[in-house]
Amino acid sequence: MSAYRADEDYDYLFKLVLIGDSGVGKSNLLSRFTRNEFNLESKSTIGVEFATRSIRVDDKIVKAQIWDTAGQERYRAITSAYYRGAVGALLVYDVTRHVTFENVERWLKELRDHTDANIVIMFVGNKADLRHLRAVSTEDAKAFAERENTYFMETSALESLNVENAFTEVLTQIYHVVSRKALDIGDDPAALPKGETINVKDDVSAVKKVGCCSV
Amino acid sequence: MKNGGSDPVLESGEELEIMEPNGIELGHKENVYEFDDLVNGTDVDNEDAFRTRKRPDKDGSGQVSVMEVIAADEKRSDVEYELSQKEINLEKLRRIASMGLPDGGGLRATAWKLLLGYLSPSHDLWEKELTENRQKYAMLKEELLLSPHTEIAEQIDRDLLRTHPDMKFFSGESSFSKKNREAMRKILLLFAKLNPAIRYVQGMNEVNAEADSFSCFVRLLSDSVDHFCQQLDNSPVGILSTLSRLAELLKENDEELWKHLEFTTKVKPQFYAFRWITLLLTQEFNFQSILRIWDSLLSNPFGIQDMLLRICCAMLLCMKSRLLSGDFAANLRLLQHYPDINIEHLLRVAQDLSADTSSYSLSL
Repeated sequence: MSAYRADEDYDYLFKLVLIGDSGVGKSNLLSRFTRNEFNLESKSTIGVEFATRSIRVDDKIVKAQIWDTAGQERYRAITSAYYRGAVGALLVYDVTRHVTFENVERWLKELRDHTDANIVIMFVGNKADLRHLRAVSTEDAKAFAERENTYFMETSALESLNVENAFTEVLTQIYHVVSRKALDIGDDPAALPKGETINVKDDVSAVKKVGCCSV
Repeated sequence: MKNGGSDPVLESGEELEIMEPNGIELGHKENVYEFDDLVNGTDVDNEDAFRTRKRPDKDGSGQVSVMEVIAADEKRSDVEYELSQKEINLEKLRRIASMGLPDGGGLRATAWKLLLGYLSPSHDLWEKELTENRQKYAMLKEELLLSPHTEIAEQIDRDLLRTHPDMKFFSGESSFSKKNREAMRKILLLFAKLNPAIRYVQGMNEVNAEADSFSCFVRLLSDSVDHFCQQLDNSPVGILSTLSRLAELLKENDEELWKHLEFTTKVKPQFYAFRWITLLLTQEFNFQSILRIWDSLLSNPFGIQDMLLRICCAMLLCMKSRLLSGDFAANLRLLQHYPDINIEHLLRVAQDLSADTSSYSLSL
């Protein structure tokens, strides 16, 4: 489905942001997806970190430019600038810490305040490998995702579970929106300027459904 | 006072520096350092306990010459001599420190305390001051740590486990590292209590290494504390204006590079220099280099922030050719994972910048 590709070789460039409370595992989701690495003792993210990876969707190369933001409250005012131009987001909570699930609403509001209304959002319950410590049920999270009209998956960056799926799903959905839009206008999607981040102006919600991959 | 003797030594030390072309990548950062007992050097009497292992020779040509060893020894005796004076000449100490302090023997620990103003230049007062300060700290701890703010405490605990996981001083389950983490935990909690507008901000754990450290930490952050304060983000002393000062400084010194970053590739200082500045460069280099950089930060007569901005600007200038040929993604990746570089060269570039950041720096 997807393979690591040379950086310059892509048809679409989509900007994604990773948001959620401090310590939920955003940076490890990113490193798992972009470098297939996991670090139990990774440093806290200060400001923003950035990585890219290209995947194949249909016959097109989609390059994801992923911005991993600092989770602590204090950094929000600054990190909001990083949202500009984002067409997809992974909103992450920790299934073993209920408070990180409670805070998701605030994150969602902030995201919607700073991005295009049609941004594709994947709600991600990370650390699903810690089964004995679970504090947030899959049902609760699924209900939330349905209510907020976002996608939903539970992941484990440690066990490499669903990480690929979560990112790929977001990228694929964005791709569908963009290519459908291009089709509607009778435009060639490949003609879109390279290197420009594509804004999802179309109505994404029409194609949204809750993808469920609980573990 | 010893006159004339020290300068030639420092100069010859400089000549021995091996210059590297800009932007050369020297491989991965090595973690071969024993912790240099950041501020609490006084507790360690055995010099071997914190001697750093020599970095592998970059050129493999055995460039660590006899001359270099002699220069290092002379530098050490210079610092030892200065620190043994009844009245320490801060001016002179600054000058020596700006060229890099010697590792081991607690010299750096003592010099940093002096440079931070935690120790007075009068040797005779040290014992009294240190005793008083340690008592004060013990009292503060008793008063304030009885009922720690749980949310802050949890955040601190999470971050402490993620502080320099590659260094024995902080990580692992040894009683040594546990003791250090506990000390840091108290320092950060206390700081949060005493600074309710700032409390605890992620990243502070990177800056601090118990009573002496606390006071030094407070003094160290007094210069950059406004960066941690959200209410000040948009004020002239906040982080955003510091970031734009960096852009100004770059523009003044290299307009071509400034244009390329700011407009062509749209790599804003916010994306890479935020961490550089708030963490005083502690996440960008290997530990030995960080110590060397801090020697320069603390010894700068115009204050920590002035030198910090100069070094940040120099970091950009030293990567000029790579940055000019890079696009947004490549440049961001490069600046967020700054390659190994000859630190002495970097600091010289920083020192030689034409602009005067002190005019808009409010520090000192």
